[in-house]
Amino acid sequence: MAQKRRTSANFSSLPVILLLGLISLPLLLMYAYLFIDTVTDSQAGSLVPSQFTLRHWSFLWETKTGKPNIWRVTFNTFIFASSITAVILLVSSMAGYVLSRLNVPARGVFLAGVMVLHAFPSVTLIIAIFVVLQWIGLYNSLIGVILVKAAIDLPLGIWLMKGFYDTVPWEIEMAGLVDGASRFTVWRRLVLPQIKPAIMALGLFSFLTGWSEFILPQVLAPGAQVQVLSVYLAGLIVDDNNFDFGTFKAVGVFYVVPVLILYVFFQKHLMNIYGGGTKG
Amino acid sequence: MRILLEKFSKSFGSTKVIEDMDLDVGSGEMLALLGPSGCGKSTTLFSICGIHRPTSGRILFGNKDVTDLPSQERNVGVVFQSYALYPHMTAAENIGFPLTVRRVATAEIRKRVAEIAALVHIDNLLDRRPSQLSGGQQQRVALARALIRRPDVLLLDEPLANLDAKLRLEMRSEIRRLQKETGITAILVTHDQVEAMSMCDRIAIMKAGEIVQIATPSEMYNDPRTAFVAGFLGNPPISFLKGTAEQGEFVLGDGSIRLPLAALSGMPDGTPLMLGVRPEHFGNGGDVPVTGRISFAETQGRENLYDVMFADGSVLRSIQPVRGDLKPGDDVRWNLDSKAAFVFAEDGRRL
Amino acid sequence: MRTSRTLGLVMIAPAAIMILLFYLMPVILTGVFSMTNMSTATGISGGAFQVTQGAVNRLRTEMPEIADAISEPRFVIDEAGIAAVEAAGLASAIAAELRTEHLGEVHASRREAERMIKALKERPSTRQTKQISDFFNRSVINTRFESREALMEGLKKLGVTLTPEQQEAMARATYTGWVWTTDNFRVIGNSPDMAQVFVNTAFYVAVTLLLFNVGYALFLAVTTHYMPATTASIFRAIWLLPRITPVVIYVLMWKWLTWDSGFISMFMGQFGHPPKNYLLDSAYNAWFFVILINGFIGASMGMLVFSSAIKAIPEAQFHASEVDGASRWQQIRYIILPQLRWPILFVTCYQTLSLLASFNEILLSTRGGPGRATEVWSLAAYHTALQNYTGNLEYGLGAAMALVLVVIGVILSLIYLRVFRYDTLISKPLIED
Ligand SMILES: Nc1ncnc2c1ncn2[C@@H]1O[C@H](COP(=O)(O)OP(=O)(O)OP(=O)(O)O)[C@@H](O)[C@H]1O
Ligand SMILES: [Mg+2]
Repeated sequence: MAQKRRTSANFSSLPVILLLGLISLPLLLMYAYLFIDTVTDSQAGSLVPSQFTLRHWSFLWETKTGKPNIWRVTFNTFIFASSITAVILLVSSMAGYVLSRLNVPARGVFLAGVMVLHAFPSVTLIIAIFVVLQWIGLYNSLIGVILVKAAIDLPLGIWLMKGFYDTVPWEIEMAGLVDGASRFTVWRRLVLPQIKPAIMALGLFSFLTGWSEFILPQVLAPGAQVQVLSVYLAGLIVDDNNFDFGTFKAVGVFYVVPVLILYVFFQKHLMNIYGGGTKG
Repeated sequence: MRILLEKFSKSFGSTKVIEDMDLDVGSGEMLALLGPSGCGKSTTLFSICGIHRPTSGRILFGNKDVTDLPSQERNVGVVFQSYALYPHMTAAENIGFPLTVRRVATAEIRKRVAEIAALVHIDNLLDRRPSQLSGGQQQRVALARALIRRPDVLLLDEPLANLDAKLRLEMRSEIRRLQKETGITAILVTHDQVEAMSMCDRIAIMKAGEIVQIATPSEMYNDPRTAFVAGFLGNPPISFLKGTAEQGEFVLGDGSIRLPLAALSGMPDGTPLMLGVRPEHFGNGGDVPVTGRISFAETQGRENLYDVMFADGSVLRSIQPVRGDLKPGDDVRWNLDSKAAFVFAEDGRRL
Repeated sequence: MRTSRTLGLVMIAPAAIMILLFYLMPVILTGVFSMTNMSTATGISGGAFQVTQGAVNRLRTEMPEIADAISEPRFVIDEAGIAAVEAAGLASAIAAELRTEHLGEVHASRREAERMIKALKERPSTRQTKQISDFFNRSVINTRFESREALMEGLKKLGVTLTPEQQEAMARATYTGWVWTTDNFRVIGNSPDMAQVFVNTAFYVAVTLLLFNVGYALFLAVTTHYMPATTASIFRAIWLLPRITPVVIYVLMWKWLTWDSGFISMFMGQFGHPPKNYLLDSAYNAWFFVILINGFIGASMGMLVFSSAIKAIPEAQFHASEVDGASRWQQIRYIILPQLRWPILFVTCYQTLSLLASFNEILLSTRGGPGRATEVWSLAAYHTALQNYTGNLEYGLGAAMALVLVVIGVILSLIYLRVFRYDTLISKPLIED
């Protein structure tokens, strides 16, 4: 069906495929070399790799002086991304339900607020947030930056969750009520299971954006103890003394592989959310 | 348990849906709420089970005022039109859910689920999820779930609307059997008159938020209070003739038909009237002969249906045993049973 | 009764608190900070009063005599000083003689005071002289006072008494903490640098939006529409990669492409061009790459939104137009584009806001360079307040710059809310408990 619809009998699709292939080539080239350069050496001025090597990967077993240990940084990143995911899922699955189903005062105002914030460029608040975190003593701590990042992604989460809840039939909830369940039980036992795929998608999405986030940790938690991979890699690149693309790329690949794996496996889930509007 | 609605009204914002409805359903009775789409049947039902709150008036179960009681504490069983089964639970979990939330012991739940499943004949399907069940099986699961808590009241919102014709017939008697066996008070919402007549002790016909008439099926059929009620019951439906009163007789628009009717004595001449004649009371015996032309003929297998058009363009329907001698265009002179005909005032009131 | 209301309030509370804390409060604080001169130098909490050379210079224009008076060191022979001498364990005769002979004397300089001390009968050593003179040093210059009262007290001891207006001026000149001011907005309004940044931003947003976030996104959506399903989804997956890839790596790949030992340099080397840094060698090139880098990321959202909008067009319309003999271009022009009006408006609104605020990619690639050629507004705010080379982070000015964005953001997102009528999205709950 879908197959038939796209390829209209009257038009050949070959020209557009060739054209788009050509345009996509630079992008593919960049990604291809991202991987090739991490395990090869090539002569200066040549693009053809001349020998296989693992020396770019030495950062995995040797800690450079002045740099935090890569495993520690990876661990931080993992904690960062998964905490954000947990906070967003928990908070937005509750708030989304309220906005979709429950009779609370000012529900409309809150929903409008969430919608505005969802489009609102939150990075503009980073200066104030920076000062706030210094005041309350959460500057340079993972907790602080986790809360900030989660809060910034929250409006999108709430918005999506509300949309998902809207698709659950009212009658399921009504049945739950007359069966004797409280509103909370109805939510927890009857409604939440219906939107499992949505929770999965939002969770993945939050994990990926958390894993990739750069500017917030860079500004709010740059310290070695709490560094995440993005800040680590950026620091490596800025350090002019040991300029080595091979190593940068190896760290980059180390950093990007989990993302790509998740993306490949859950592409369908994610497409909806990326299309549904996020910043960038 | 008896269900009593007293001066029950319900509005959504500024739209009034039900106004001052009184309804009394006797203990162990099964009542049909019958009416066209949008007349407020579901609204009434949802108010009885506590999903909607009445704007004013009272709702009583037995002697207990449940108006302000939340759904969870009313002990009603509801079967929804869409069944509203929980898709992520097996049939057994679905049926057992009302007990699970009441924290009944697992063994006890299992026992009662098995019992009720046997009652509705789905004991071999308990491990399946709703998506693996047919419409009729889902229907039975929903019934079992409504019955397992031994509710005081059973409410059914168009429970058969989503089934095919054969299953509908089967479930009709099934539901009636269960209701009788359990002796539960039940309200059935439907817009299918056959369903209402065949399943229920009494029928309440609703129109625009009001109960027009409430009576047993045969009373309702033989003694409708308004033209609306008469038109709602009966298949094929009753047909109406427009006319006026003249010296105690009903006179069709152009005067080609005159019927002496007892109900019309003393009626001033020229009063506009409506005459309702059911198809079985035209062309099968009767006392007043009328002449017309067959405008439409249809066979229903065992019976034939004829539309007979008169000179002024009005039509009477007749249902008769199958015969092959008539076709559209033929002129006929058939008798009309004037004693079985209903006379209505212009506003639909029965005279 | 009304259990759902209580439950609702409880369940929405965490979201409300987080939004309050990390959206509303920062917005208000951005406004507040923008009215101050907060910076690394002033600190973010309160300050102290310190009579620095700079403060004296500032005072000199207003009240030259007092400025002179306080800038000179003063040595006052007073009881407090004498007590200190006694406590220091020096010969007791020194203190006694100072009390009887010199109490109340004021010496205008250290030299004068030390000459007097040297002349004491006890003949203190040079080291002792210095020590003793310190006990009588009552200068205020470079002294830190924790409060305004302490400052005035110190001045009084020095023999300087000030009228209330003078006190006010003195306090203002010597205060080291932040103060309220509207200077930030004057700077934003008047500085040619800011004007340049503003022009940069407008150029950057307009061009990226037009060429990529909408233009190229449309191109992708339409071309993939005319492909077999699997091919189309492969291309969509490829063009979503820039969005998925963490920004640091993504920019790293571009750097590799444009660096002087990178791909383009090597490629051009084959044709005899000397290697150079294509990213930063000229403002023209920098802009070219900045727009590509951001555009490739930005195209993905439009691509997905437009694709699903095209998919929603009834198939019959395409068949009918083909039967009517429409060319592919005519199909696009007369069937697809007119039906994408709302999605295009949506993406435009949304992406304008994102582009205005996003500076990740520029920060990581050109850092606003070469010079300040690719400095955009949000990046400039970041540089001003959070990362600059002079080391003095000007939170106040940065906040004022951010406030400009906040205001634009609020206005645009309110428009966005109106355009996408949210009131149709909210309906009354069906369960009334
Ligand atoms: N939540 C609501 N808000 C506003 N109006 C409502 C609401 N629910 C129902 N109504 C209105 O109340 C009237 C009665 O609705 P109800 O659902 O009770 O009809 P019904 O008799 O069950 O019809 P059907 O046979 O189609 O199910 C309708 O006109 C409907 O539009
Ligand atoms: Mg209904």
